[in-house]
Amino acid sequence: MAPVSHSGTGPTTHGGAQNLLMVNTAIAPSPWSPLAHGGADNLWGHFWREAKVRPEEQQSKPGEAMMLDQLLQQVFNGVALGSVYALIALGYSMVYGILEMLNFAHGEIFMSGAFLGWIVLSMTLGGTGGWLPPWVGLGLALLLASGGAALLGAAVEVLAYRPLRRASRLSPLLSALGVSIFLQNVVMLATGARVKIYPVERFFPSGLGLILGEVTLPAVKVFVLGVSLILMILLDLLVRKTRLGRAMRATAEDSEAAAYQGISPQRIITLTFLLGSALAGIAGVLVGLYYGQIDFFMGFSAGMKAFTAAVLGGIGNLRGAMLGGLILGLAESLGVAFIEPVYKDVIAFTLLVLALLLRPSGLLGKQVAEKV
Amino acid sequence: MKKSFIQASVINLSLVVLLVLGSLLSGCSGGQSSPGKESGAVKATLSTIKIGAAGPFSGQLSKIGLDSLNAIKMAVDEVNQAGGIGGRQVEVVVGDDGADPARALTVAEKFAADPALVGVIGPMNSDAVNAALPVYERNGLVVISQSATNPKLTQQGYKVMHRICPRDDDQGPAAALFIAQDLKAQRVYILDDKGIYGQGLADQVEKKLKELGMSQVQRGQVSPDDRDFAAILLRIRQANPDLLFLALPNPAQAANLVRQARSAGLKFQVMGGDGLKEKDQLIKASGGTAEGMYVTSIGPSLELIPEAKNFVKAFEGKYGAMSIFSGQSYEATRVLLDAIKKSIQAGGKVSRADVLAAVHNTRDYRGILGFPIGFTDKGDLLGGTIYVLQVKGDDFVQVKTVSAGGK
Repeated sequence: MAPVSHSGTGPTTHGGAQNLLMVNTAIAPSPWSPLAHGGADNLWGHFWREAKVRPEEQQSKPGEAMMLDQLLQQVFNGVALGSVYALIALGYSMVYGILEMLNFAHGEIFMSGAFLGWIVLSMTLGGTGGWLPPWVGLGLALLLASGGAALLGAAVEVLAYRPLRRASRLSPLLSALGVSIFLQNVVMLATGARVKIYPVERFFPSGLGLILGEVTLPAVKVFVLGVSLILMILLDLLVRKTRLGRAMRATAEDSEAAAYQGISPQRIITLTFLLGSALAGIAGVLVGLYYGQIDFFMGFSAGMKAFTAAVLGGIGNLRGAMLGGLILGLAESLGVAFIEPVYKDVIAFTLLVLALLLRPSGLLGKQVAEKV
Repeated sequence: MKKSFIQASVINLSLVVLLVLGSLLSGCSGGQSSPGKESGAVKATLSTIKIGAAGPFSGQLSKIGLDSLNAIKMAVDEVNQAGGIGGRQVEVVVGDDGADPARALTVAEKFAADPALVGVIGPMNSDAVNAALPVYERNGLVVISQSATNPKLTQQGYKVMHRICPRDDDQGPAAALFIAQDLKAQRVYILDDKGIYGQGLADQVEKKLKELGMSQVQRGQVSPDDRDFAAILLRIRQANPDLLFLALPNPAQAANLVRQARSAGLKFQVMGGDGLKEKDQLIKASGGTAEGMYVTSIGPSLELIPEAKNFVKAFEGKYGAMSIFSGQSYEATRVLLDAIKKSIQAGGKVSRADVLAAVHNTRDYRGILGFPIGFTDKGDLLGGTIYVLQVKGDDFVQVKTVSAGGK
């Protein structure tokens, strides 16, 4: 899964790595992860020196405009961030495709996944030693976060949405907002209001990254991007190639007709919530790794971004959600070439307004989820 | 800024739900971490004396608020266990303003309407204090803020306003002096979060740096809820500063920013204001990347003050690592309780006017902050010294003291 296996205490081992992989020692190695740089006589020494020189060169000639390497760097940042938006947006889109309902509690499912992952990591890795190898702990965290989030998402559907299935369209929306506030406060009361720290350095020491020419791809972002892409491909295959996926598409298109064919709409709805929430749970852990910290409020803005991505791509359309996420991530990270970074969020919501005005069905709207 | 139509309507909808749900939640919230319950359990006999605690006890800044509230309750519990004041128990009335000026105003009205309430700790955020002060002034209700540092607050003639924290025009210039003379930085980039605290501090640092002859000072902003700093770091990289000054109230956000800066290969020194002095949320949250960072502080490290030992031990035993506001909240509460004690009459009667006068006349109060507490005529803290601390390992180490007598 990850390019490098790194043990928390021993010297860094670059198992099976290619020349691309290296440690950018422009940063002082963190005390948590002592990095051993062999002498200059080994393969790494060459790259190590190169990396040490380069950032200084960059700093000595501050550019007026965004330079090409910085542009590429931002493209990569945008894609990595966008892939996470996409992962969360998928859950929005799937639920909308089946139920035509905006699940505004989805951001909190994502947040709960991040907290579940944090609990698993704190329990297995502990303060110093821990009783599991870090990568096993991380795998377990991803697994339990997705499982827990899936169950939570399905439970929310049963408790908060199902009783309102025949009510006006506003009722489930309000119910979703209520669930969202409820979950935020439950997490805050249960774990305290402080920001929780993800032990990222146990897996990705700061400074570890892929160097491609002038661009540094931090290992943690590569990992986040990789996992997101794999999950998106798997979901796409599931929806397009399996019986289950066909049942989902049929229900989205016309649930009554699908029911005549022997597909239980209720089963499909539950399944949709399970799947979408599992993805959100994993996205929670990925965001925890990406930023190194999580808080009980993180679901709100992530949920809004994901919603924007889903609408942008065409809500109800899964490939649209993925595309929307990537476009949003790219627009945010490239837009700062033209406006002040503090207005970054303006870009996202301007895109949303433009999409609603110019192409209400989204970029790829209504290809999968045809509803009359 | 992100007020798209959809979000605005979502916020409106969520407010409706919040009203309903909030009343449910506040009715059933239990557990040890919930605010307002422990002291609420104190027997509310006929003659409890009440003090108000205003601050952001929910929402995004609740970590700061709850750190303070826990310290306030601790001070009150100690007094109650020792028999109360004049035989009367003290009760903390919690007023959650969510750092929102409008809600701070509501909280002030609520406090003012309660005749048994004789003094207020908080509000904590400068703009919340600013909004609520007229109400407190009209009702003669003394205010001791533990964290509102904006200079303007004490310069508007309000008699009730007091604070146990530095002013931004103390710590800002002190930080600037340290940057220019000790660190000898040539180019400084100052980042704030658009809030009254952050912008105020940033203004003060910039002004003093320019007075000291530094020409290459640049400013930038982030949003309080930003988590991704790739964009602003790109700007900062182009400015190529020797030092980045973080005028941010949220240590966890600062930690995140420093972490991202370091992993982007940026090597400048980093300095911040008093709000960032937090072991857990700054040092630990940065994953080691805050090593060597400087912060200013109104007092020395509490760990180094003998009088504070018991407090630190008791607090950390109960609530975990504390923030800078815990100590200042505890001190502010004790100053208020002390003033109530001084102004209580035979028969246990206390008046707001007497408490206000007693707080105002506090001189040489020896608490846990390591220097004698008193107030200027306007309600600013007397005798504070600005300390510059540096992150070393998992703690802050004192590196320099700068006298705050500059105003």
